[in-house]
Formats: sequence, structure tokens, C-alpha cells
Amino acid sequence: MTLVPDFSVQRVFVDPWTTGIDSHGMMALVTFLVGCTCGLVGNFLILRRMALMGDAISHSVLPGIAVAFLLTGSRGIGAMVLGAFVAAFATHLLVEGITRYSRVRPDAAIGIAFSTLFALGVVLVAVFADRVDLDQDCVLNGELPMIPLEPPVHLGSLSLGPPPLVRLAGLLVASVLLLALFYKELLLTSFDPGLAAALGLPVSAVHHGLMLWLALAVVASFEAVGAILVIALLILPGATAAILTERMVPRLVLGVVHAALSAIGGMHLSVALDCSPAGASVVAGGAWFTLAWLFSPTAGWVPRWWRSRGAA
Amino acid sequence: MLGCFLSAASAWLRLRLLVSVDVVLRLLGFLMAATLAARGGDGAGTLVSVCATVGMVADLAREVGGPQVAVHALMGPGVDPHLYRATASDLVRLQRADLILYSGLHLEGRMQETFERLRRSGRRVAAVTDGLARDRLINAGGEGQKDPHVWFDVRLWADCADAVAEALAGVRPASAEAFRSRASELKRRWDGLDRWVRGRVEEIPPTRRILVTSHDAFGYFGRAYGMQVVALQGISTVTEAGLADMAQLTDFIRSKGVPAVFLESSVSPAGLQRIAKDAGVRRGGELFSDALGTPGQKHGPFDLGTYEGMIRRNVDRIVEGLK
Repeated sequence: MTLVPDFSVQRVFVDPWTTGIDSHGMMALVTFLVGCTCGLVGNFLILRRMALMGDAISHSVLPGIAVAFLLTGSRGIGAMVLGAFVAAFATHLLVEGITRYSRVRPDAAIGIAFSTLFALGVVLVAVFADRVDLDQDCVLNGELPMIPLEPPVHLGSLSLGPPPLVRLAGLLVASVLLLALFYKELLLTSFDPGLAAALGLPVSAVHHGLMLWLALAVVASFEAVGAILVIALLILPGATAAILTERMVPRLVLGVVHAALSAIGGMHLSVALDCSPAGASVVAGGAWFTLAWLFSPTAGWVPRWWRSRGAA
Repeated sequence: MLGCFLSAASAWLRLRLLVSVDVVLRLLGFLMAATLAARGGDGAGTLVSVCATVGMVADLAREVGGPQVAVHALMGPGVDPHLYRATASDLVRLQRADLILYSGLHLEGRMQETFERLRRSGRRVAAVTDGLARDRLINAGGEGQKDPHVWFDVRLWADCADAVAEALAGVRPASAEAFRSRASELKRRWDGLDRWVRGRVEEIPPTRRILVTSHDAFGYFGRAYGMQVVALQGISTVTEAGLADMAQLTDFIRSKGVPAVFLESSVSPAGLQRIAKDAGVRRGGELFSDALGTPGQKHGPFDLGTYEGMIRRNVDRIVEGLK
């Protein structure tokens, strides 16, 4: 067995778009949907310096699924997702509580909240569900390659595609509508909470709303495609966009572009190397970030070096 | 000034987003149409392509299908099915296969849910353990959970051949008789294997018939061949053993005078190595638990990539370690 499979342009760059459109194309579309939704939320998280909140939420869902299992006694996905969502929002409330009523800063509060909740989950599983195969890997983490296999949802005679795809598309549409409605509030409370409060905007309600949105996005994506994609795609699109421009609307649009390029790059990489498509998409996303870092017209290393050479 | 900018920006964004929603919806519609095109031609002369999850299931399919089938196993040697991650080419194989065979009883974790939905939607998908009577299975915790490691009771696993034959017959009715006769032939052959295992285990002195392993995969083996089975970790390999568990197991090994403990090819050895050291006992050879060996490697005349070779080497190692 060779480490790197044979490379052929036909197989890697043409087949995924033609004969593989229902497998590779579908996976790329799902990755794109996750990247879009998570990227939109992620842009605001980065502005608020709360980028790790997504990471925290994806860890702290364990006690949620353990409690859901203990209450319902089943590993049905509905109860698990609800438990995960409640745990995700509880993480946010805990972080808020610690930040507000102690001298601990938000970054440390995030660290305290999610590690404690995760440990609580480990203890719950060990004590109450010892003989059962219960952990978020096997219960909640979806797998990207399994999604195109799912039988499609039908709306009348129209086939809409696998259920996770439909759910993610619905979440994206809802996210976009919410963003369009509350754009002004989100932007102002993120950039300048003091001014926003002075102008009479409900700063803390907006914050709770954003966290609710984040929890929904993380749990839905988690359930569909697993943890790697979610954590990475929360940060990478927004971070790449932030390097390229200072203005918010272009940032959001660039985040979407980054999500699309990551999905497509990941698709070709996973075909070329026959590896996990989720991992490949994150590698591609990281590569696009590196390119932006090096070549961004305003802040990139290469243009800066070029300018300083001209000045010397 | 700021408000003016913001409202202009938000109006522009709204327009922008409506356009992108439209694009996404169109793309969705297009892809949906593409997925609908079902696959699976049934030319009588061609091979039935079977996609199996673990090696043990693939071996069953090869034995029962004979020359009429081409079998691919998703999980290779040394892969832990509890922790398996599918790749892009796995997906293509699963989509193109005429028949998907999996072990079932939650061995494959969440993949099983996908498989069950696929079966309800009309694809040919079968769990080889589905045909077994529920009271022949070992309980694993509450809520009707069963221990999935059925293959270590040779007779029980041989009975799974019927489910495989029926599943293959569904795909290729013309060869149904050939599949059924190969299945009953296989059951006769594995009856012999079962007797051989029983005879080998009886070579171990009765007080020493205690099998200590890393995770709880040998419940069926113990029940079928009269050995007490003790494992450091539970059914799942994810939860680590606690300190009390380790101390308890060490005391147990000392008090019973167990001569050796056994590591597994697909599970981390650290915990059990520590116990072997503390209790002052030997480490017996590594056992196969949730995967077969590498095809082509031999144990005597038997290929380790087959079910029979895997069982024979496990049993020889257990007997040599404990005798």
C-alpha cells in the first residue's frame, strides 16, 4: 500500500463534478452550508473576542446528552439534540454568570465553564451509563460521508435531499433572515457596547440572542457533520475575512466565499488523498487563511515587504 | 450619520442575502434531482457487489457468496469499529454497492441508524445478526442493549450465515439455491471449528479458565466455551478505567492465580500492561477482538484475514497462555 494514492487530474478534478456530484458534490454542499452559517456567527464572535465560545459549546454538550439519556432512556437523536442544545445554552449562562458576579475575565470564565461541564458529563456517563456505549462521538457526532446516503426528504413530489442537508439549509435561511433584521443591533453592540447602551439598544438581550443562535448553529452542525468541521468553520471564515477587510458587510460576504472555497478545496483534497472529507475541508480552509495572511492587500506580509522594499 | 450608514448597509445586505438565498435554493434543487437517479443494475452474469463494514462480516459474505460476489470491507485490520471514521471513497462504495451488510447491535454506532433508514427507503441493506433470536444474545446494560461481539461464539456466528444467504438471494434470486447451500455447508464446517475450540479450551485446567482482557469483547466466548471473562474497560472503548477498577482487577488476578492477561490488537494496551506488572503475571499474546488480521499472514495453514484464522489464533494464544 502506498502512502499517497496515484494522482490523476480526471479522478481528482473532473469526476467529483460529473459522476461524483451525488457523493462528493453533496458532501461539499453540506460543508458549504455549515461553513456559511458558522461563518456568519463566527464573524460576530471574533469581533467580540469570544471565538472560543464555539469550542466550549461543542465540549459542554456531553452532560446534556448524558442527562437526556438518563431521563428518556433512549439514544434517539431528538432527545440527544435537545439535551445538547440546553447544555450549550447553559454554558453561555454560566460564562455570563461567572463574568458578571466574579472578578474572573470572560476568557477564563469560558475555560472554567466548559471544562467543568465536560467533566460533569464524563462523571455522569461513568456513574450512570457505564455499561452503555454512550459518548458524543457515537451518539451525536454525525459523519459527513454518511449524509449523502440518507434517504431524501420529499415535499410533495419534489425531493429536497437528505434530512441533515434540509435542516442545515433551513438554519442558514433563518440565520440570514435574522441577521438582516437585527444587523444594526448586532453590529453596534459588537463594536461599541457602551455607545449601543447609550443609544438605548438592548445590549444584553442581543448578546443572549447571539449565543442562542450560536448554540443552535453548533448543535445542528455537530449533529450533521461532527466536531472538527464545526469548531474550525466557526473561526476560519471570519478570521480570513477579518484579515482582508475592516468593514463588516464585506467581511460577511468574504466569510461565505471562504466557506465555499474551503468546501470545494476539501472535496478535491479528500478525493486525491482518500481521507476524511471533514478534515480535508478544514485543511483547505486553513490554507486559504494562510494565503490571505500572506497576500492581503492591506495587512499581508508579502505586500508589506514589497512596499518597504520600495521605500528603502 | 451613523444611522444613515447603517440603514443603507442593512438594506444592501438584505438584497444581497436574498440573492444568495435564491442561489442556494437553486443549487439545492439541482443536487436533489441528481441524487434521485437511483443506481444498481442487475445483470445476471455480473458479480453482486457487496459492501461490508467489519472484516468478520466481509468473511461471511465471501464464504456464502462464493464466486458470484465481490466483497469489500470498509474497516481493515486493526481498526476499532467503535471509533471508525468513513472516508470519501467509502461513501462511493456504499452508494454503488448492490448490497450493504453490517454486523448490527450498535457495533457500528451511528452508521447503523443511517443503514436502518436506508433499508426503510428500499435499498438492500441487512444486519447479519438480525436473524438471531434475542434470547441467545447477552444483555449489556439497560433498555434492551445487547453485546455486539457475537462472532466469538462460533455457532452463533455460523447461524448468521442464513441472514447473509437471504440478503444475497434478494439481490440475485437466480443464485438463491447456491447461496443457501453454501450457507449450510459453512455451518457444517464451522460446527467442526466450534468442536475444535471446545476441545482446546478443555486442555486448560478448570481453575485457570479465566480470560482477562482490555475491553469487554469476549462475553460470548466465555459463555459458549465455559470461561470466566473479566475486562478492564466496558463495552465501549472510550471510557477509561478508574483506579479502583484497576486495583480490584489486580487483587482478583492474584487471588485466583491467573497466569496471564491478554492485550487486544485494536485497543490501547497501557492499562492492562500496568495491571500485569502490578499483579506479577505474564502478558499472553495479543488477541484479535473487533477486527481480523492482515490478509496473507498465516497462522499454520490458516489465513489471519479470515474468520477461521482469527478464531484459531486467538484460541491457540489463550490456551498457550493459560495452560
